[in-house]
Amino acid sequence: MLAGGVAAGAFGSILGLGGGVLIVPLLTLVFGLPLREAVAISLVCVIVTSSASAGVYLQRRQANLRLGMILELFTAAGAIVGGAIAFLIDERLLAVLFAGLLVYVAATMLRGIRMPATASATDDETPPVPAGDAVAAAGPAEPATNLDYDRRRMPAAALGSVGAGIASALLGIGGGTIKVPLMHLVLGVPLRVATATSNLMIGITASASGIVYLVRGGIDAYVAGPTAIGVFVGASLGSRYGHRIGQRALRVLFVVVLLYTAIEMLRRSAVAA
Amino acid sequence: MTTDRPRTGPSEDSLESSLARVLQAGTYVSIALIAVGSILLLAGGISPLAGGPAFQPGNLIADVLAARPAGFLWLGIVVMMATPSLRVIGALIGFWRRGERTMVGVAALVLAVVGAGVVIGLLTG
Repeated sequence: MLAGGVAAGAFGSILGLGGGVLIVPLLTLVFGLPLREAVAISLVCVIVTSSASAGVYLQRRQANLRLGMILELFTAAGAIVGGAIAFLIDERLLAVLFAGLLVYVAATMLRGIRMPATASATDDETPPVPAGDAVAAAGPAEPATNLDYDRRRMPAAALGSVGAGIASALLGIGGGTIKVPLMHLVLGVPLRVATATSNLMIGITASASGIVYLVRGGIDAYVAGPTAIGVFVGASLGSRYGHRIGQRALRVLFVVVLLYTAIEMLRRSAVAA
Repeated sequence: MTTDRPRTGPSEDSLESSLARVLQAGTYVSIALIAVGSILLLAGGISPLAGGPAFQPGNLIADVLAARPAGFLWLGIVVMMATPSLRVIGALIGFWRRGERTMVGVAALVLAVVGAGVVIGLLTG
């Protein structure tokens, strides 16, 4: 489980994926955990990676603190709604939704392989960078808090943020897949700032729904602990050494793995029915 | 949304650095607690798939003092879940000192929503 967490954290870090996309299939398909329990544990892991990386982004002044706090009000509200309805939804429906997410992420990665020069607007939360590296890599940067954005489109962004919160709570993901394009495409926030700000918001989003799971007894500490440690160590290793690994081949491999995982989740959901 | 003009209080740089430290400290403390719990789990020959005890806030301190794995694991998870809220509390204080009333209100609302999560969890649990 620890090794699985390390692998999920490292590959997630190298590929720019959020932990949930890899942790939930790992816990359900490899360790046979119920999907809802895997989602709850994934949320715990997402908080670890988000808090570590958000700290780094704030230190570098790449995240827009005020915009992040306004939008996290809506993602947190959505996350609580999602956390509450997660216990009412059939696990087979959750599995179908998760399979859809995996196909979407695979398609996004495939597009990234075809257009390597263009940064993907749908990459999920960037994993943690060790604090020491952050200070060294910080350098001079324009503070993101001073950057402006299209405030007239805030209602649309707020609504989308509620959706991101619901998706996060239901699927155990950070929701960066929704938040980053929302800020970038709707509010006109630069992609780099949107990614950093999304990371800042993920902690509150995941903890809002994580608390619902915790209070309702949906988290198994024996599984969550070793998995969270593994993800933290793996993500730290990935962010430190990931640049040494060829991205293209790894992305192609992961597209295949994600699609296979999506099919397997659908198949098991159909068998359970 | 951020039209209030700060007159005193911490600079923007100092505020964001302080919040970064809160997040990093919370992460490392929670990871350290979870690591201790995981080592105790391993030392006790307990399989993570054996099914851990339910979360009982009242037992937390007693379990930690008795060096039970569940105590450290749950305490680490609680610290981890509380860390983003601690960042929001830090931001609320910082915005208050800077005189940014709108952002004080936003931070207070975020904390209220997270608090509502606890209430909803208890009511529906």
